[in-house]
Amino acid sequence: MTRNFLTILLAPAFLLAQDTVAPSVDEKVGPLRGENRGDYNIVQSWEFGYRFASLGGNSDKYRSDVNYHDGIRLLNSNLTVNSKDGHGRWFDEITFATQGLGNDPYESATFRVQKNQLYRYDLLWRRNDYFNPGLTVANGQHRETTTHGWQDHDLTLFPQSHFRLRAGYSHVADNGPALTTVQEFDSRSDATTVFRNIRRQYNEYRLGGDGEWKGFRFTVQRRWEYFKEDTSDRLTAATGLTQFARSQPYRGNTPGWMGNLYGERKWIAINARATYAGGRGDFVQNEIAIGTDRFGSAQNRQVLVTGNGDRPVVAGDFNVTLFPTGRLTIINQTAASNTRIIGNNFLQQFDNSTFTFNSLNFQFLGVRLVTNATDAHYRFTKRFDVFAGFRYADREIRSIEDQGSPGFPLDGVTGQQSNHTKAGVAGVNWIPLKNLRAHLEGEIGRNDNPFTPVSLRNYHALRGKLQYRTKTMSAGAGYQENYNNNSIQITAYSSRARSYSAEASWNAKSWVSLDTSYSKLHLDTIGGIDFFAGSPRSVEITGQQSVYISNIHAANIGLRFALKKYADLYVGYNLTKDTGDGRGSPFTSAITFAAPATAVAGTLASAQTFPLTFQTPLARVSVRLNEKLRWNLGYQYYGYKEDFGLFLYNQNYRAHTGYTSLLWAF
Amino acid sequence: MTPLRIILLAVPLCALAQTAPKPENKFVGSLVCKTCHPDVWLNFNKNPHYRSIASGKEAPDKTGCEGCHGAGGNHVAAGGGKPTIGAFSQMTPDQALNTCLECHSKDISRANIRRSAHTEADVVCSSCHSIHKSPTPKFLLAKQQTQLCYTCHATIRAQFEMPVKHRVNEGVVQCTDCHNPHGSVAPTWRTGVSSAMLAPAHDNEQPCLKCHIDKRGPFVFEHAPVRVEGCDSCHMPHGSTNAKLLRRPVVFTVCLECHNGAGTFGRTNAGVVTQSPSHNMLDPKYQKCTVCHVRIHGSNTDPTFLR
Repeated sequence: MTRNFLTILLAPAFLLAQDTVAPSVDEKVGPLRGENRGDYNIVQSWEFGYRFASLGGNSDKYRSDVNYHDGIRLLNSNLTVNSKDGHGRWFDEITFATQGLGNDPYESATFRVQKNQLYRYDLLWRRNDYFNPGLTVANGQHRETTTHGWQDHDLTLFPQSHFRLRAGYSHVADNGPALTTVQEFDSRSDATTVFRNIRRQYNEYRLGGDGEWKGFRFTVQRRWEYFKEDTSDRLTAATGLTQFARSQPYRGNTPGWMGNLYGERKWIAINARATYAGGRGDFVQNEIAIGTDRFGSAQNRQVLVTGNGDRPVVAGDFNVTLFPTGRLTIINQTAASNTRIIGNNFLQQFDNSTFTFNSLNFQFLGVRLVTNATDAHYRFTKRFDVFAGFRYADREIRSIEDQGSPGFPLDGVTGQQSNHTKAGVAGVNWIPLKNLRAHLEGEIGRNDNPFTPVSLRNYHALRGKLQYRTKTMSAGAGYQENYNNNSIQITAYSSRARSYSAEASWNAKSWVSLDTSYSKLHLDTIGGIDFFAGSPRSVEITGQQSVYISNIHAANIGLRFALKKYADLYVGYNLTKDTGDGRGSPFTSAITFAAPATAVAGTLASAQTFPLTFQTPLARVSVRLNEKLRWNLGYQYYGYKEDFGLFLYNQNYRAHTGYTSLLWAF
Repeated sequence: MTPLRIILLAVPLCALAQTAPKPENKFVGSLVCKTCHPDVWLNFNKNPHYRSIASGKEAPDKTGCEGCHGAGGNHVAAGGGKPTIGAFSQMTPDQALNTCLECHSKDISRANIRRSAHTEADVVCSSCHSIHKSPTPKFLLAKQQTQLCYTCHATIRAQFEMPVKHRVNEGVVQCTDCHNPHGSVAPTWRTGVSSAMLAPAHDNEQPCLKCHIDKRGPFVFEHAPVRVEGCDSCHMPHGSTNAKLLRRPVVFTVCLECHNGAGTFGRTNAGVVTQSPSHNMLDPKYQKCTVCHVRIHGSNTDPTFLR
């Protein structure tokens, strides 16, 4: 039967069907976007411009937080090519988009090409210039300026068929100079800064497929991952340490596979997954240090280490979803995983070419986790539904720490810890009025033997949300609290986090819109600590507490105006203000220090809170020059101010940044 | 009243109730829909759902407008109107979800959607995806991804606007790099309670390790909480006012809150070991623990992470 004949045959049917059609009244006919070229429709835009930045204050902190700088950029670009009838010769869709190309610190590009029924290829490329002065965490001795790059490639063959093939490749790389520290020749000496050349690379290859048979879909994927690090550390001269060099090449690989089975019927759906990843890493370390120790004696030391680490991980999940009635859904998930980390090394240390120290190390850390979760969701009416669930987790952690010399038995320290978490969740969704939705849920849990003093033990969470939404506006408010109390006989730890939020957006007309939100994030924690301090000799100090109080007010507002077709204006303001515990200086008389370590307690008090203000007002204007060309101008101010610096460091800065660009769209 | 009279009276009532049978709702084809909804149709060739039309092989209930909205015969006969068609705005959240899952349930990324926190909160497909008016060429999102998530998660937005943060607003990191908005598998770290929407890396690992490749290991000497409890034991993953996204403004309180020797915590079940007596906390050099313990995430050569 020819296509023309079919058309003739079907035409009366269409005419018949159209007899009773009434025109739609609430939807307007939109123009066809882009340009038609042959069998394709093409839409594209390119925005070229110049970015500028002017800075006052701490430039290191600015580079760490913001990092925009001067230069010519391809700020944005977008290209889509679509076949008009879904039957393009080589492809049916191409999408290509970029951001920040030309040396912005945040660059990305995406690309997709596909031919219906035949193939689909996706690429995501990203690059991030990373800078961190490491001032408050490491005295600036861990300063780092690196480039982090990602690539993800995914190819699917026969994407719409019952049998699909998939292949993929991902690449991650870190490169750049940095500083790090070494501590020679004993644990009481000062740390010396050394140069570091960071070189890391990760490659992953994926191959798999999906098959569908009688309503069940089976997926299998095989992956091969390779990681290598060739970072080296070097120093030529410093006080105490006159020569230092270290290389520690590492080669890791993780072969793995994953299988998934999915099936659904009217009253039941099942989903089963199993994965295995067999991580392994081999390493060598060669370190040489020459200098004088803290007593002034000449020292030279060489350390050689070889070894490897294995981490096989097996995990499986089984989900059953039941739909006994149209109103009720019951879901049960059972999952089990087993992680075993086995590592050993052989360390040889040569001091002053005479004394030799050898050690053998064996370490094992095993984590076995079994979880089960059951949830039920019942819809009473179209506007009211409830859900509740119970979760159970059984975890066992086994540990072996062995160290010894070759030829002698290892001196093993073994440990075993098991813990169980039981948690209940419940919630309600309610639409009390048209367009108004309310959601409330809570979770309460108990862990009988948490792994760390800051882990969840007796905890609860509450979340509530109210949202009103129409075609032109939306408004919402939310509350969330997460409380945890992990106090035991000797140490007391509690954490209380509360957040309040409200947001609204309003698209009054096509030429004006408003978007705003406010959040308050409160956190107060208190934990018992134990440490050594004192003068002239340090003694163990107990009874002190680590307190942290944060009260962050965050607000943002954005207002957009369109002046007919000629110009768009956007103004916005973002504010983050931590008022801390209300004090204006690192020390406060309101805090009483427990004897005997008043000076130490003072140090603790200065780290209890960290009030600061970070604000970023911005404005953008876009002027239409002709049908295809617009001129854009943007400005953003960054102001960072700490009420008092940590460790007496002042990292305040203010920066004026902006760009001017031409946008060519057609 | 005799039974006969009752029957005689009831028969007309029953007949009245059985009015003319409802006409069968027939499939009419997408070209009919185009007549009244040309704005939807004009750019529909760019929509991923157009593939079902382009293939020309799908059954009427699996293709075009009626593939999602159901048969349009009654809608056409009634001259339009939402009650006569499967309008998503009129559906309950689970109806909307199940309609989309007719075709989209089979991908692994959506395998756990029915037990996701979004589904429990009645946030379903049509809450985030705009099938006909999406501004994004991929995934048919109702807004750009970041703005879409911020619509409900205002407190997360606040965290990404802090001075120290992952670069989500800058466009180089996306929410879906770490989260699966369709629901995730059970994690292999923590105790499986609070990580419902995290997308594990490489099937089993914390999502942080997708990018922070040097922290992955395996190491001979693992810092156990990193593997057992996760990176967020020490870090705030979205944003923070503290350097390195730490939970505290200074490093030593992060460390000392665990290393207090108390209770049955830690890998040996005998408390997390306290710091060495040689460390005098009055000396500023001991207040920045990671200056010496440079390999705090794990080391191959030193059990105390010094090299």
